[in-house]
Amino acid sequence: MPTLTIDGQQVEVPAGATVLEAAEKLGIEIPALCFLQGYEPSTSCLVCVVRNRQTGQYVPACATRVVDGMEIDNATEAVSAMRRTALELLLSDHVGDCLAPCFFACPAHMDIPLMLRQIGEHNLREAIATIKQDIALPAVLGRVCPKPCEKGCRRNAADNPVAVCELKRFVADADLASGDPYQPACQPDSGKRVAIVGAGPTGLAAAYYLRRLGHACVLIDRQAQAGGRLRTEPTPEELPAAVLEAEIAQILRLGVETRWNTAVADQADLDRLCDSFDAVLLACGAVEPEQIAAWGLAATRRGIEVDRNTYQTQRPGLFAAGNIFRRKALVVRSTADGKEAAQTMDQYVSGRAVRGPGRPFSSRIHRLTSDEMQEFLAGAGAACHSTPAAGETYSDAAAAEQSNRCLACGCVAHGSCKLERYAILYQADATRYEGQRRPYEVIGRHAAVLFEPGKCIKCELCVKIAAGAQEPLGLTFVGRGFDVKLRVPFGGDMDAALSKVAAECVAACPTAALQFARHATTHPEDRCAAD
Amino acid sequence: MIRSELDLNYVDEIVVQCGTRREAVVPILQAIQRHYRYLPQPALMRVCELTEITPADITGVSTFYTHFRHQPVGRHVIHVCEGTACHVKGAELVRDAVALHLGLAPGQDTDARGEFTLQSVACLGCCTLAPVVQIDDVTYGRVSPRSVPQMVAEERHARSAPPAAARPAPNSRPGELGEIRIGLGSCCQAQGSGRVHDEILAVLSESGAPAAVKRVGCIGMCHQTPLVQLITPAGESRFFSHVRPEDVRSIVLRHFRPPGLVRRLGYRFARWLDAFYSNEADDAVESHALDVGGQAVCGFLGPQKHIATECCGDLDPLDLDEYLRHDGFAALRRCLRELDPPSIVDEVRRSGLRGRGGGGFPTYIKWQKARAAAGDTKYVVCNGDEGDPGAFMDRMLLESFPYRVIEGMAIAALAIGAQEAIFYIRDEYPLAVARIREALERCEQHALIGAGILGSGLNVKFRVAEGAGAFICGEETALINSLEGRRGTPTLRPPYPVETGLWDRPTLINNVETLACLPWIFRHGGDQFAQLGTGASKGTKVFALAGKVVRGGLIEVAMGITLRQIVYDIGGGALPGRTFKAVQVGGPSGGCVPASLADTPVDYEALVQVGAIMGSGGLVVLDNTDCMVDIARYFLRFTQEQSCGKCTLCRIGTKRMLEIMDRICTGQGRPGDLEQLEQLAHSVAAGSICGLGKTAPNPVLSTLKYFRDEYEAHLQGKCPAGKCAALIRYEINQACIGCTLCAQHCPVHAIPLTPYRRHAVNMDLCTRCDTCRQVCPMQAVDVVS
Repeated sequence: MPTLTIDGQQVEVPAGATVLEAAEKLGIEIPALCFLQGYEPSTSCLVCVVRNRQTGQYVPACATRVVDGMEIDNATEAVSAMRRTALELLLSDHVGDCLAPCFFACPAHMDIPLMLRQIGEHNLREAIATIKQDIALPAVLGRVCPKPCEKGCRRNAADNPVAVCELKRFVADADLASGDPYQPACQPDSGKRVAIVGAGPTGLAAAYYLRRLGHACVLIDRQAQAGGRLRTEPTPEELPAAVLEAEIAQILRLGVETRWNTAVADQADLDRLCDSFDAVLLACGAVEPEQIAAWGLAATRRGIEVDRNTYQTQRPGLFAAGNIFRRKALVVRSTADGKEAAQTMDQYVSGRAVRGPGRPFSSRIHRLTSDEMQEFLAGAGAACHSTPAAGETYSDAAAAEQSNRCLACGCVAHGSCKLERYAILYQADATRYEGQRRPYEVIGRHAAVLFEPGKCIKCELCVKIAAGAQEPLGLTFVGRGFDVKLRVPFGGDMDAALSKVAAECVAACPTAALQFARHATTHPEDRCAAD
Repeated sequence: MIRSELDLNYVDEIVVQCGTRREAVVPILQAIQRHYRYLPQPALMRVCELTEITPADITGVSTFYTHFRHQPVGRHVIHVCEGTACHVKGAELVRDAVALHLGLAPGQDTDARGEFTLQSVACLGCCTLAPVVQIDDVTYGRVSPRSVPQMVAEERHARSAPPAAARPAPNSRPGELGEIRIGLGSCCQAQGSGRVHDEILAVLSESGAPAAVKRVGCIGMCHQTPLVQLITPAGESRFFSHVRPEDVRSIVLRHFRPPGLVRRLGYRFARWLDAFYSNEADDAVESHALDVGGQAVCGFLGPQKHIATECCGDLDPLDLDEYLRHDGFAALRRCLRELDPPSIVDEVRRSGLRGRGGGGFPTYIKWQKARAAAGDTKYVVCNGDEGDPGAFMDRMLLESFPYRVIEGMAIAALAIGAQEAIFYIRDEYPLAVARIREALERCEQHALIGAGILGSGLNVKFRVAEGAGAFICGEETALINSLEGRRGTPTLRPPYPVETGLWDRPTLINNVETLACLPWIFRHGGDQFAQLGTGASKGTKVFALAGKVVRGGLIEVAMGITLRQIVYDIGGGALPGRTFKAVQVGGPSGGCVPASLADTPVDYEALVQVGAIMGSGGLVVLDNTDCMVDIARYFLRFTQEQSCGKCTLCRIGTKRMLEIMDRICTGQGRPGDLEQLEQLAHSVAAGSICGLGKTAPNPVLSTLKYFRDEYEAHLQGKCPAGKCAALIRYEINQACIGCTLCAQHCPVHAIPLTPYRRHAVNMDLCTRCDTCRQVCPMQAVDVVS
C-alpha cells in the first residue's frame, strides 16, 4: 500500500487510490467541481490542483494516482493561487448573478427575491423573517424609503420595477397587525455589554442586531424617547407615530435597556462609558465638529473619522455609525450602518478579527441586451406594476401577483453552488479577467429541466451520467475549445435528453446550469405593455 | 421532410464497409462528407440506427473535428492556408482579397451563387511557397492579394473546360540512356511541377528523345521548384530550377537529341529548331540551369546530413524495387535474423535517438516500457498528425520515403511485440495518405509486412487512419481517443499509452521522423548515429526552413549545428535589404530566438534554455518587417483555436490571453495588460493538463522576454514593424510621379485616380492590403505607424 504526505501529514492508501481520496482519508477537503464519485475524472475544472513537491508540477488531485513516497502540497499559497486563477477564469466566463441587482442596490442588502418568492407563496411569516434578517424597521422604511432597490430592479429596464418597497411595507404592516408579531430568536447571552449612544434609526438597528447576537445592550439618548430623526424628518402623514412606536417596541422587546434623557457630552462621559462597556457605538446622528472635539476624537469634513469597513474610530472599542460620520444619508443607509456596526462589534467583543461585514461575493451579468431581457421576462409573472391606492393596502392575492413579477435575477443555486462556495473560500475576484461575455439564455423554458448555458462550466458530469444510464438521446459537447457547448444531439430538448436521469444531473450540476423549472411561464403576448 | 428527399442508401453501404463499431465513426463521417459534401442530419441519424454509435457520440465527434461540415458547401472550396510562413507573408491579406473578390459579407463563407466556399486551413504544409491557397485539390503558391482575381478566374475556367486526359503514369525504364528526374511532392505540385512533368512526357513521346522520366521524392530545395534534374547518358547531372512548361522542350531536347529528328517532325518544329540552335534558345536553357558547385546548391545541400531523408531526390517514392536496391528493408532483415527484441531496444538506446515529434523523450525508454508492459495485444502507432503551422517534415517523409517509415514501424513492432501498426495521418495530406496506402499494398504483396514478414513468424497488420482537422490529436492520449472514435481530448498522463493506450492496451506512439531514422540506425549501428550531434541530442533533425530567408526548403542537419549556420549557410541569410531579426523555432509550442542568440545550437536542452523548444521542426525566419507581437498573437490564436476545451486553464486562459493580445495589437492595450498576460501565461503553462496548454504560452513568454519593447510600443499605439493594421497608415510621398498604378490596383478604390499628380490614400477606405506599396515603381508609398 503506497504512502504519501499531504501538507506534511502522512497517510497510507490502497494501491490505485487518487490524491483526492488520500486527502479525504486525512480529513483534508480538496475543492473539486467536475468530480463525482463513481465516474471517471474529467480533469476539466482544475480547481482540485495540488502540487507534487518532487516534480514541482501542478496536477489534478481527482485523477492523480498516489505513488509511494509522493509529497503533495495542498494548503500552500501557490496552490491556492492556482485554484484562484482557475476559479477566476471560470467566473470570467460565467453568465449569471449569484445575487440579484436589487441586493446590491439596497443599502441594507436585503434578500429581496427571497422575500418576493415568499410573498408569492403567501408565506408572510417567512417573508417578515427574511426582511428582518437585514432590516430592523421595515414598516418605517416601507413609508420613508426612496426605494433605491426599485431603481436597481432589473425589470425597470423592461417595464416597471417590482413594487418591492410597498410589498415590504405590506408584509411588515401585516406582521404588526397580526397580534403576534415576529420575534427573532436571540443567541444565548454572551456576557458582553455594549452601549449605544443615540436611539435613532442607526442605534435602533444596532441594538436589534446586537441583541440577536446575544449581547447585552444599553440604548442611551438625550431625548426622552427613541426615534431620533424619524420623529422630525418625515411628516406624520408619511410616517404615522403609531407605526414608529410599534416598530420601536418590537426592538425594545428583545431586552434592550434604555437610558433616556442622558447626554454623553464630553470626553469624561465617553471615558466612563468606554470603561464600563465592552464596546461603545456612537450613533447620535450628524454632529458639529466642536462636539467631536469635546469627545477628544478626530474629525473629517463630514463628521467623526471612522474606518468605513469596520466602523471603528481611532479609539479602541469605540465605534461610530450613521450620520455621525456621513452627515446626511438615507434612513435605510442608517439602519444598514446600524446592522453592520452590530456585526463588526460582535467580531470585536468576541475577540475575533475585526474585518467588518465584508462585501458578499457575487458573479454579475451587469447590462443586458434586449434579447437577454426577454429571457428574463419569459420566466416571470406578466402582471403590471401596481401599488395600493392611498390609505389602502394590497390584498394577499395582489401582493402575490406583484411579487411574481420578480425576474428572479439571482441564482437559484445561491448558497448551494460549488463555484460560488469555492470562489468565496479562495477569495476569487469575479472581475479579474475581462473578456468576451456569452449571451444570457435559458434553454427549455417550457420543459421540466432548464438549461442555462452561461452557467455551464463544462464539467461533463451530466454527459457522463446520461451516457452511463444509456439515455437514448443523452447529452454531448458540441464544438471545441472556448466555444465548446453542452447540447442535446440532433436539436432535441433537455427533457428528451434526460428521460431517465434528470434528477441525478440536476443534483450533480456544480452550478445551476441545469435546474428544474420553478416558475409557471407566461406567453409574451399575455404580458402587459410598459406603462 | 428532408429525410425523404435524401437518398440514404449510401449510408447503409458505407456502414457495411466501415463497420458498426464506435471507432468507425470518423471514417464513416469522412465517407458521408465525401459523398454528400457535408453531413446531413438524416444521414447521421441513419448511422445511429445502423451502428453502436450513439447520437451523443456522432454529434460530439462530428463537431469536434473542424473538417466536418454540417451545412452544404459551395461547389468549390477555397482553402487559404494560415500557416506561420503564410501568415508572415500576408495570408490574412490574401484571405481578405478572396472574400472581397467573392463579395462575401462578414461572417459569410459561401458566395451568393453557391460557387465558392472560403475556408481557412491551419497549415497546408507548403510553407516555402507561402502564401498558399488550395482550390479543391489544386494548390497555388506565392499568392498575393493582387493575383487573387486571376486565380479565381483560372479556376472557374478550368472547371468549365472538359477534364484533361489522365496523366500518363511515370515510366520507369531502368537501363535507358538518360534520366529526367522531377519532384512531385505536394509543394512541388503547388509550384506547377505537375504541368512540367506532363510536358516532359509529352515532349518525350512526341520527339522520341531517349530518356526516362522519374518521379522522385523531395530534395528539399523548395525555393527552386519546379526543379528538374537531368542525368545525361554520360552520367553527368544538371539541375534546372523554376522550370516552366514552355521551357521543357528546349531543356529536354538540348540534352537528349532524338533520332531522325527533322524527318519525324513537321515544318513548325523545324523552324523552332532553328531558333533552338541559336544563342537565344541557349540563353533560355541556361537561365534555368543551376550551378551544382555554386552557393545555391552547394550552400544549401553541403551542410546537410541525410539520414531520415537518405537518397533524397534520387528515389522514386513508390518504387519498391529501387528502395530494396538501396538497402531497403535490410535493417528489418537484420533485426529479424540477427537481433532479439532486447538487443533491438539496446541498439536504439546506443543511438541516443529521442522523439522527433517535439518532446524529445528518449525513444528506447518508450520502447522498453512498451515491451515490458503486460499483455499480448500491443499496438504501434505512427504519429503523422503533424499539425504545427510551419512544419511539413512528416508530410515530406511520408510522401517521399513511405517504405522507410514502414520499415521503421515494422522494427518497432518487432521490438515491442505488437501485432498491429497504425498510421495516423492528418487528412490535409492526401498525397501522403495515398502513397502510404499504396506502399503498404506493395509491401504486403512482397510479404514485407502482414503475415510471416520476410519469411519469419512475425505478423504485423498495418492500416491507415486519417485525422479530420484537430491539431490536438497529435497529442498521444488525444490521438488514442480519436482512434477509438471519440472526441480528441487528451487525458491525464500517467497512465502513459505505453502501458494503457489504444483499447487500454500497451501502445507505442512514435513520430514519423523518429521511425524514419531507424533503418539507417540499424544499417550503420546506433553508435554511428550517436557520433553525430551533441551531448544529449544525437543524430540529425529535419527542419522546414521557411519565412524571410533566401533559400527556404526542407533540410536535414546534424544536431549541434547553430541556428545562424542554418539561416545563413543553408538558407542564404535574410532577403535583400532586410535584417534578420529572429527565428521562430518549434511552432506554437516554441519560441522566438532573437538574432543575438542565433549561435544557439540545435539541441533539445539548449533550445529550451533560450525559451524555445526543438519541436517538430518548424523554423520560420523573421526579419525587420515582422512584428513580434503579431507573431506571438498568431501562435496564440492558433493554439486557442486548437484547444480541445477540456481544462479550464487552457480553454478560458488562452482565450483571455488572446483577448489581451488582440487589444495590444489594435492599440487598445491598457496599463497592467502585460503583467496580467504574463501572470496568465505562467498559470496556463503550469496548470494545463496536456502539452498543448502547457506550451501554448511559450510564444508569448519568449517574445515578452526578448522583445518587450515592441509590446510597449504597441501600448503607445505604435507598431515598429509596420504590420499591425490598426496601428498603421499608408502615405504617398513626394516621389510619386502620378503613374496611377496604385489607384488602378487598389481593390477598394481608396486611392483616387489623379494622373501626373501626387496620389493620396483615403485611410477610411483603405484595408491595409499593401498592394499599392508593392505595385509602386517609385517607392513612393510609406507605411507609417
